Amino acid sequence: MSARRGLTLADLVLLAVLAVVFGFLYWALVQAWGALQLAMGPFGDLAQHVLAGGWMIAAPLATYIVRKPFVGIVVEIVAAFVEVAFLASPVGPMLLLVGFVQGAGAELPFALTRYRRYGWGVFVASGVSAGLASVALGAVRFGWLQQDWFAWRLGLTVVSSVLLCGLLARVLGDALARTGVLDNTALGRARRVGAAAAERPHDEVPVA
Amino acid sequence: MTTALHETAVLETSGLTVAYPGHRAVLRDVDLEVAPGERVLLLGPSGSGKSTLLRVLAGVVPQLVDADVAGRVLVGGRDTTATSPADLARDVGTLGQDPADQLCLPTVADEVAFPLENRAWPVAAIDAAVDRALARVGAAHLRHRRTADLSGGEGQRVALAATLVADPRLLLLDEPTALLDPAAARAVGRLLHVDGAAQVLVEHRLDEVVDLPPRTLVLGADGRLVVDGPTREVLHDEAAHLATLGVRLPGASLEPPPARAVPAGAPALSARGLAVRRGGREVLRGVDLDVRPGRVTAVVGLNGSGKSTLLLALAGLLPHAGTVTGGSVGVVFQRPEQQFLTRRVHDEVAWGPRRAGRRAGRRGVRRPGPGRRGAGGAGAGVRDPDAVAADALAAVHLAHLADRDPFRLSGGQQRRLSVAAAAVCGHDVLLADEPTFGQDARTGGATAALLRSLADEGRGLVVVTHDLALVAAVADEVVVLRDGRVLAHAPTHALLGPDADPRVMVAAGLVEGTRLRAAGHRVPA
Amino acid sequence: MSGAPRFGRALEHDSVLHRRNPTVKLVVLLVVSTVLLVPVDVATPLLVGLLLVPAGAAAGRLPVRTLTRAALAFAPFALSILAVNAVTRDGPVVARVAGMEVTGTGLTVGTSLALRTLVVGLLAFVLTATTDGPRLMTSLHQHARLPAHVTYAVLAGYRVLEGLPEAWTTIRRAQAVRDPGRRRGAPLPRDPASLARAAFALLVGALRQGERLATSLQLRGLGSGPRTVHRPVPLGPADAVLAASALGTCALVVLVTWRLGWLLTWGTLAG
Ligand SMILES: Nc1ncnc2c1ncn2[C@@H]1O[C@H](COP(=O)(O)OP(=O)(O)OP(=O)(O)O)[C@@H](O)[C@H]1O
Ligand SMILES: Nc1ncnc2c1ncn2[C@@H]1O[C@H](COP(=O)(O)OP(=O)(O)OP(=O)(O)O)[C@@H](O)[C@H]1O
Ligand SMILES: [Mg+2]
Ligand SMILES: [Mg+2]
Repeated sequence: MSARRGLTLADLVLLAVLAVVFGFLYWALVQAWGALQLAMGPFGDLAQHVLAGGWMIAAPLATYIVRKPFVGIVVEIVAAFVEVAFLASPVGPMLLLVGFVQGAGAELPFALTRYRRYGWGVFVASGVSAGLASVALGAVRFGWLQQDWFAWRLGLTVVSSVLLCGLLARVLGDALARTGVLDNTALGRARRVGAAAAERPHDEVPVA
Repeated sequence: MTTALHETAVLETSGLTVAYPGHRAVLRDVDLEVAPGERVLLLGPSGSGKSTLLRVLAGVVPQLVDADVAGRVLVGGRDTTATSPADLARDVGTLGQDPADQLCLPTVADEVAFPLENRAWPVAAIDAAVDRALARVGAAHLRHRRTADLSGGEGQRVALAATLVADPRLLLLDEPTALLDPAAARAVGRLLHVDGAAQVLVEHRLDEVVDLPPRTLVLGADGRLVVDGPTREVLHDEAAHLATLGVRLPGASLEPPPARAVPAGAPALSARGLAVRRGGREVLRGVDLDVRPGRVTAVVGLNGSGKSTLLLALAGLLPHAGTVTGGSVGVVFQRPEQQFLTRRVHDEVAWGPRRAGRRAGRRGVRRPGPGRRGAGGAGAGVRDPDAVAADALAAVHLAHLADRDPFRLSGGQQRRLSVAAAAVCGHDVLLADEPTFGQDARTGGATAALLRSLADEGRGLVVVTHDLALVAAVADEVVVLRDGRVLAHAPTHALLGPDADPRVMVAAGLVEGTRLRAAGHRVPA
Repeated sequence: MSGAPRFGRALEHDSVLHRRNPTVKLVVLLVVSTVLLVPVDVATPLLVGLLLVPAGAAAGRLPVRTLTRAALAFAPFALSILAVNAVTRDGPVVARVAGMEVTGTGLTVGTSLALRTLVVGLLAFVLTATTDGPRLMTSLHQHARLPAHVTYAVLAGYRVLEGLPEAWTTIRRAQAVRDPGRRRGAPLPRDPASLARAAFALLVGALRQGERLATSLQLRGLGSGPRTVHRPVPLGPADAVLAASALGTCALVVLVTWRLGWLLTWGTLAG
């Protein structure tokens, strides 16, 4: 099998497409977000943590689909690059670092299973570790540790990451796999093996 | 092992059998040989494995798309199942049907230079080669354009230039004119004949491609090669056989329907002075149109003449000047995937009726709602949505796929699903954008019959299409659009029959040999 | 002006900055924004901004209006950072607003972080307004040794991105008209379920297009061996001048505020 051969062009394009679509959806969201944030005053800054997990979902999703080392990191860096170079993100190239840290955080639990296990528990762990990584970086960039609301920031981010980054990635990955667009990825192949083991296919067995 | 003949063949398969994982084989025991410079036409019903065969020849199956491949495939003497597609590309040029899937880079010049860069051509030689390739397909003026801004026909020409630029020995062409209007299809079709290169051409539109390859292969529904012979003989002698397979034949029965009387009464939808601006340009202006219950209006015109824009405006989905009045409107969009809402084929069709039922239940009404007319509008609220869906699926030959995910259907199947899903919503007017795109003769006929039955139920239909067989089969009247204006609007037989105004024909994108034939006027294949 | 956003396209005029090497511009911006992570006083980001933003705008011949509009887009984010810092940091209380204590330290740090956001945002805007995204990719391929596979994968992603705004509106419309009770001209539904369905269809379509583009790239011979670059992005002495002057300015400001004792960092703040 080619699984150990590093990222193929098809893998890389898939990562780029995930990065681009999520980048675009975030971009659309941010267009609506600014005014809301202003209206909430000081709480606007806190409210970003409610959605924090959503910004990182590409990493566990990509890892679930491609199942190779560094996929989570690569997809987040590409996403950051897309936002900087194509979507004119105000955060600037600092996003590349943010992407790296968040991607690494989300990918870590998968790496610990050596990219073999994709149960719900691993996705929860991925969410938690992505959330922690993200808060740690924010603490350095914005000095959150010296602020009053650190516990709130930490709690909201971790909960959001478990739901919107970890668990949602698994749900979305399965839904996408059902549509057939992921047939030629590791996820698609794993599901075929699973389905074949569970029951014989309705169609005649392939001639070969 | 290899005979002298094998050494000279540019392409050779023996006992080729291909199965996608979990499905039965789509190609069986295909033996094929193509000599250098030889041109071959490949026909077969939808789903018979034509695209699969081309993908095997290009090395895409099984290397990039998983499948079980048995038998032998040699292209330029190399085994395509073991040579990477990128390496095979040194001998093979591939062109598909949708430019959106093939133009990978932001500008036209980059796109055409890309294959040469990958072959490590010296930089100095690339520019001249790019110019030559673009000039060859009549696209020299597009050199500095962005690929995202090209129209369908322009995009297809640029993709062709990028395919030809490195002088491949074998061309694999998969419905390269599918999205084009007849005139553009004819222009691109003429460019496909490249001296010296062997080619395998998959093409449904035999009317428009004037210069058909001299040899024809036909795949049967079970994926076996059933016919192999000179094109002229195959199309004549095997016509009946091909028709039973569902293959579209050139010059096939394009007979306009009997003229129906214009029904009295108010139009179901009425547009006056319709004008739309998109991207800073006026792409539709001064359009007046009445859609009458029980009648089908076909809208034809070149790519970019404003057909889809007209539908969107009629449906109230675009800001427009002018007025549109009338009943409720359903729309079948140009790309089926974009309108799916559910994760199951059956639910997809049942969605509209269920929603209508819930709405009616909330309001506590059993009678047709305001603006609804006739039996059709009332029916949707009364019948069981699941029964409605099952009937509609059967009508478009999809009953066996009721449990699939809609996104997992083939393009042609998705098209039929989207038509069925819109048809059951009980709208007064249905607007359909290219409803028979990607269909073979049989499924295209089923879709046409469904559309006609809606009209016969008393609904108004507007059908945008490049497909003359459809116009002939269902349309009562035809609107010809040019540059966003109505150039002509008249009953079908008057507008497209043998005595039609040539100016109108050209605007409609129709050329000699593709107009409707009065009975008896058959153009030989 | 209006219509679909033109992602990744430089403003159409020409300027000194348009002609500079994209990789150099990106690296300069990366370094400047990294340096700006350190100070939390008001003076340092303010001075860097006052020197670099007008210089960048002039070199890029960016109209003041365009720049102002960009600044306004980042303002809510900056203001909310200011607000939250003002009320959540320990220190001498200078005012009470709606029951929350505004501290001097909070105001200083908040203003500094807000300024940093504005400065980095504006510099990033100057970069994107004067840099063609695809040229940046080619340049990274050439000058930063980014592998061809990665470069062209991102460019394929860019092609997908260009089509997304239109795909999004089309999907929203196509799904909306499936509702039998919909009136002509009614606004598109904005409930979360509708938006989620549209986003899913968008993702499926993009993934499918991506798979086909990946195939096309290989059918055009990408990955069959060594390759040449047909339209190289130039890299010359002027780029060195750009890098030296921008980074020099930045270093000088930090040096000056440090010597004058204005420079504050998280370290000095805590200590
Ligand atoms: N990746 C795939 N996985 C599973 N089945 C597939 C795949 N691609 C195609 N098929 C199925 O294989 C069969 C042959 O498909 P193919 O695209 O080769 O047909 P075709 O002759 O080109 O049809 P059309 O004229 O509609 O383009 C179809 O039933 C199709 O649904
Ligand atoms: N979203 C858009 N923004 C700007 N211009 C557009 C947009 N959509 C279409 N146009 C332009 O409007 C004109 C009419 O487009 P429309 O899609 O209605 O053509 P069409 O007749 O349906 O063509 P086809 O046969 O290729 O589907 C074209 O010139 C097209 O370039
Ligand atoms: Mg096909
Ligand atoms: Mg159209």
